[in-house]
Amino acid sequence: MNKVITRREFVRGASWAVLGAAVRFPGDRQDVSPSSRVVLIRQEGALDASSKVNEEVIQQMLDEAVMRLLDQDSPAKAFSLLVRPGEVVGIKSNVWSYLPTPPEVEGAIKRRLMEAGIKEEDIGLDDHTVRTNPLFQKATSLINVRPLRTHYLAGISGCLKNYIMFAESQPDLHPDSCAELGSLFLLPQVKGKTRLNVLCALTPQYYGRGPHHFNRRYVWAYKGLIVGQDPVAVDAVGLSLIMAKRRQELGPAQEIPPVPKHIRIADQKYGLGTSDLNRIELVKLGWTDGMLI
Amino acid sequence: MLSPSFVLLFGLLMPQAGGTVTDFSKILPKSILGWEAVQKDAVYDRQTLYDYLDGGAEVYLAFDFKQAFVRKYSGPGQNEIALDIYDMGSSAEAFGVFSCDRQDEDAGIGQESEYGPGLLRFWQGPYFVSVTVGGDEREAEKAILALGRAAASCLGPAGEKPGLLQCLPPEGLRPNRSCYFHSAINLNNRFFISSENILNLSRQTNCLLAEYGQSPAGPVHLLVVQYLEEGQAPAAVESFLQSYLPQGRETGAAQTDNKKWTMAKVYKNYAAIAFDAPSREWAEQFLSSLQFQEK
Repeated sequence: MNKVITRREFVRGASWAVLGAAVRFPGDRQDVSPSSRVVLIRQEGALDASSKVNEEVIQQMLDEAVMRLLDQDSPAKAFSLLVRPGEVVGIKSNVWSYLPTPPEVEGAIKRRLMEAGIKEEDIGLDDHTVRTNPLFQKATSLINVRPLRTHYLAGISGCLKNYIMFAESQPDLHPDSCAELGSLFLLPQVKGKTRLNVLCALTPQYYGRGPHHFNRRYVWAYKGLIVGQDPVAVDAVGLSLIMAKRRQELGPAQEIPPVPKHIRIADQKYGLGTSDLNRIELVKLGWTDGMLI
Repeated sequence: MLSPSFVLLFGLLMPQAGGTVTDFSKILPKSILGWEAVQKDAVYDRQTLYDYLDGGAEVYLAFDFKQAFVRKYSGPGQNEIALDIYDMGSSAEAFGVFSCDRQDEDAGIGQESEYGPGLLRFWQGPYFVSVTVGGDEREAEKAILALGRAAASCLGPAGEKPGLLQCLPPEGLRPNRSCYFHSAINLNNRFFISSENILNLSRQTNCLLAEYGQSPAGPVHLLVVQYLEEGQAPAAVESFLQSYLPQGRETGAAQTDNKKWTMAKVYKNYAAIAFDAPSREWAEQFLSSLQFQEK
């Protein structure tokens, strides 16, 4: 049996320790490697009052985040480190009807890929049919982009869970709180190809109810993007944001969305990245009101 | 009031035991308060429910779910209402799936219901129903409630709640915070206990989670699990104590870090656990007041 994490550890505030991470982002980081850098960028103008996405602001946010992530002084230089001319690139998006990846974010990524020398016909954008999509079958690079939300089984749906459409059988990944989602990144169609993970925290969902696990009462205008090359670190940051919001809105007893163990397992069993917040360099840019983490 | 011809049609078409929910297609309204049915009605079963509910299918599959009927309605501002009718196989199962997610005010529809912005949930007989909107909740509210009433009129007679509820002591019980289920997924989404299935819950176990009291320090939670065989209950409690309450392995009780008491007891094929009781004596007396039926 896996290490048992009980309600008592959560009550003691030690949940992050047993999940494989620190309870809060520490002041003194240890052994941070470049691959575990995560950029959280927020802009107040990313959404208007009706939550309509501002395409121009989104482009600026993506550019700034990727430049900072890769220590480059222009978007072109930054994206040229991610992909090479002549490559075939698949953008793995998410079309969940209640909270899809905003087209403005998809468009911002595609625009920079083309500027980095990728032909438009060599860029794929897909979700449910990535496994059989000919372009994704010959893709040499993948960009992983999706919204941040809670999930009944996995705790959160983040960049790790976004690749479930590459699986031959999705229900096979559901047991034990989707514990083995990390295995998706070892599939031949995926392994070693993910260049960038963009977790959209523009309107994250911190709680779910009803058959569809969605109600607009439980999303909020955070107006952020969480960007990194390490999908585990990106999801760990996303989880910390969801936990902070749940603590604020639902109270400490419901801080943890049960049970996001797949993030720790993706780190410790599959070696995909860093789940320990002590070892993640979180760079925060832009709007700071209601940052939460 | 329903017309005699509608009642006759309803009687002829209403899905009977062993029937199919596709008959709802003929008796549910195609139009309501300016909202029009769009797309083709859909029906999902235990194999295909994953196609409809992303991540939520297991919640229903953990019950005795049979089929789901789905109709979408389009209205102002490209809003879409989804009417879902789930045949849960029995009224106890329909109550169960309803009870696990209660949070809003009573809407007076079906046997028990609740409505909060954008989400109506109710149960009647073996059916659990949800009516949801993805967009502007205010524009859709009247249509959601009207659609719920129309659907309830098609669902046939009321059914019984699970008999296991009768074991609960009435004093201090918060009925709207009591839920019935079978599996760890439902327990953890309501009251997280453990990352692992330390009580060996499954579709074969019947479980109640109930809340007691209005104390500012928080309620006492009572978990009751009915196992198929007597030997399963002590094994489950031993597993629980080992993982959750190791200092209580000898006595079945211990004070936890929040200065409250947790106690576990076995009675034949039942396990009962009180969480966050004010004292050991209170927990002992409380668990002794449970009225278990013979299996």
